[in-house]
Amino acid sequence: MSLTELFPAIKMLPRADKLRLMQFLLIDLAQEEGVPLLAADAEYPIWTPLHAFEAADTLLQMLKTHQAEP
Amino acid sequence: MTRPVRFAYADTEASRAEGSLLAYVPITLRHGTHVVTVPGLLDTGSTVNVLPYPLGLQLGLVWEHQPTRVYLTGSLVRLPARGVIVSGQVASFPPVELAFAWTQSTEVPVLLGQVNFFMEFDVCFFRSQAAFEINPKRKAN
Repeated sequence: MSLTELFPAIKMLPRADKLRLMQFLLIDLAQEEGVPLLAADAEYPIWTPLHAFEAADTLLQMLKTHQAEP
Repeated sequence: MTRPVRFAYADTEASRAEGSLLAYVPITLRHGTHVVTVPGLLDTGSTVNVLPYPLGLQLGLVWEHQPTRVYLTGSLVRLPARGVIVSGQVASFPPVELAFAWTQSTEVPVLLGQVNFFMEFDVCFFRSQAAFEINPKRKAN
């Protein structure tokens, strides 16, 4: 089946299926090109301690105490 | 007044080219007689500086001797951390005292964050040129 033959069928698809088709093509192309993808069942670390304000206060207090020492 | 020192972004994964460039700065950490020079990630989103566990050991730190508990967030929330103060030197600038959250993580890189790396150094990012500049903070008059 050629792409020209596929187009009318694709056009008839509901919006959700068109989006799934797009996703399928993107993943397929990425895999062909060896681009690593995020897996749904895997855990990826985010090392950055964002909004660790309590830790920041603790370290600032440590610095103040340290700098006040003779 | 000092002149800023310019550094190039580091290519962390050669296969990804532009997408893998990160702002790592060589920093020399000292504690007592122990001296280690490591790449530190300039992490503007990090509230604090973070020191990985093995590096703390290389600096002669003893976990049991650090009484101050620090509570981190993100992936580091699950691991205990202690507050430590070490000396840090970038390029030929005068060394400064840096407070780190010393985590038990062995995987995290050295993170240079808001408290207190960015309080001690002015950093200007030129990401479009894959470069950044660092200067010590200006002393208040």
